[in-house]
Amino acid sequence: MIARLALAALTRRRTRTALTIAGVAVAAAMLLDMVMLGSGMRESFRGFIDQQGFQLRLTPRGTMPFDSEATVGGATALVGALRADPDIARVGPVLGGKHFVSVDTGVVAGFLLGIDPTAQGDYRLEAGRDPAAPDEMVVSAAWLAATGRALGDTVRVAGGYDPQLRRATGERTLRLVGRGRFQMLAANDRAAAVPLATAQAMGGAERADRVSVLLVETRDGADAEAVARRIEAGEPRLTALSTEAALKFVDERLGYFRQLAFILASVSLAVGFLLVTTLVTVSVNERIGEIAVMRAIGVARGRIVTQVVLEGVVLSLVGASLGLGLGLVTARWLNGILATFPGLPAAFDFFRFEPGAAFRALGLLVCCGIAAGIWPAWRAATLPIATTLRAEAVA
Amino acid sequence: MPPSPRPFLAGLLAGVLLLPSLRPAPLRAQPHAPSRGQVEAIRTIAIDERLAAAAGLTVGDTVRLAPTAGAMGDLVRVAAITRRGADPSEVARNEFKVRLHLDHLQALTGSGDRVGRFAVRSRGDASDEPNAAPDRVAAAINQAAFGFRAYPASAVAVETSSTFRVVNRFHRAIGVITIVASAIFLLCITLLKVDERRRDVGALRLIGCSRATVLRAIVLEATLVALIGSLLGAALGWAASAIVNWYYQGLYQTPLRFTLVTPGIVAFAVVLSLGLGVVSGLLAGRRLVRTAPLELVGR
Repeated sequence: MIARLALAALTRRRTRTALTIAGVAVAAAMLLDMVMLGSGMRESFRGFIDQQGFQLRLTPRGTMPFDSEATVGGATALVGALRADPDIARVGPVLGGKHFVSVDTGVVAGFLLGIDPTAQGDYRLEAGRDPAAPDEMVVSAAWLAATGRALGDTVRVAGGYDPQLRRATGERTLRLVGRGRFQMLAANDRAAAVPLATAQAMGGAERADRVSVLLVETRDGADAEAVARRIEAGEPRLTALSTEAALKFVDERLGYFRQLAFILASVSLAVGFLLVTTLVTVSVNERIGEIAVMRAIGVARGRIVTQVVLEGVVLSLVGASLGLGLGLVTARWLNGILATFPGLPAAFDFFRFEPGAAFRALGLLVCCGIAAGIWPAWRAATLPIATTLRAEAVA
Repeated sequence: MPPSPRPFLAGLLAGVLLLPSLRPAPLRAQPHAPSRGQVEAIRTIAIDERLAAAAGLTVGDTVRLAPTAGAMGDLVRVAAITRRGADPSEVARNEFKVRLHLDHLQALTGSGDRVGRFAVRSRGDASDEPNAAPDRVAAAINQAAFGFRAYPASAVAVETSSTFRVVNRFHRAIGVITIVASAIFLLCITLLKVDERRRDVGALRLIGCSRATVLRAIVLEATLVALIGSLLGAALGWAASAIVNWYYQGLYQTPLRFTLVTPGIVAFAVVLSLGLGVVSGLLAGRRLVRTAPLELVGR
């Protein structure tokens, strides 16, 4: 009965109810988008890191992985010492640099990664196999497109370019054995991975026995943070970056988006609350006479309150449900815009749908709808019956 | 801040040199007391104010500057503390910067007589189009010189601003969603407000006011509400902009202005609000004046 009365009140002025639901839906969509934005970047980045399977990244002291061209010398001894640590299961040394390939139209430049194929987390094979010999190479699809080569081809690759002599340096003849998706690079980046020793040799004396990053996988049960602290204490040239520290760094770099998300989400909640409050208040004001009659014939205050609150809940629920669909569509649109950030990994999402967070946010909106109905409901339930009936009869 | 006394070489390298860790605690930039002999030969550096604040350094302090963590390096004196420029590309970067004299950095890092880049100022003709002189000079250098690639400043600006163009598009998209939400909100409120006065409108119609007069009155009222609301919104926007600038300038320690309330933006907001107010007033009013007067008064 109460539900039927609440629905009847809402359907009495259909245009107004439809507009309110539309307003709540847009507010819910914005709220959902901002929740997705707030958690999406972090979770997306965590996904990248977890996918690599390494808990620690060791970089030259004070730097972030590949944030500068800094490298660490004595890589062989470092890797040996790390592998001897009982808490460390795997060590993946990586040397980053550039490479150049001559094509008919000029020179194609790209990223070169020197890796240990048995312990690497930089690419996922899409076709072919990992490099097994020093003269084998895995490249990205963009690299193949730019050079016009195919798997199985042999190419001359230079590790550098001497601008004074206009001559390539550190040239090697390499065979394309695999196509990979380089996870931390943009889809249009031309990237290649070769065995570490090959990359070091191509870089000349400056890069001999040096690495940019050491990826470390700890053994099950080992405390990654404790291992990181121990490594830093024992090797002053290194900074050990755990997954949590990397996520904290991302939080700092992308703090603007999280703050924007928080502000806009708060505004969306406020707009939804205001809309529902306004509609329910006006609706109650219009039905003061009816409510007074219901009270006069013995309908309890609790039932009146429940009916009015129910109107707010229905508006919020329907609006939030529509907003869920609308929010997913707009999130896709907004993600498409932010995906054009230069150098952003192709699989990186700014907006990620996390069911728990999304439904908590929409639940909060529905709670706002309930709160929005409480004041007009209380007002309706506490009307002076006789005075109201007299006033309404005169009117 | 005191200006640097001689040209300094900007060096990102310094972030690594002075800060052996990302954490502030183990900073090695503790002031040293130089001996008498060291004072004679000591070189000077400029540090940015973030580094000065994090390491507790002031002008006149001496610190040890090394190319790699753990190396001896040189004892240097802080001659100047610099403030960051309003460069958007550096806003989110938390690295510290130290500026050294070119020959000092070359000696410290063993770079010999090498440099990373040259900045060239062109001498343009009065009749030149904007950017014509830099483009001409860059083309001439690229054609004549070995070992260089010259880029005009405009090309560098386009390249480095691509990130901000994306952010700008994102902000516009958020703006579109906000406008849609505002339009619905305004229409809803106008409809409710007009509906509230059904009896008044019914009475006006019964005493002979024409539909057009009633409609004009409703539209005028909606327009006035939109005008007052938009002016209040502009004031609120200006205050919010001031708070945002104050907060982010403090957070990132930059003079960059993050939000700008320009006359154009205010005019756009006011015109849009007025347009929405007129349209919502028209829609709500037309709906009301089409209803029979007796029905409006509840008979």
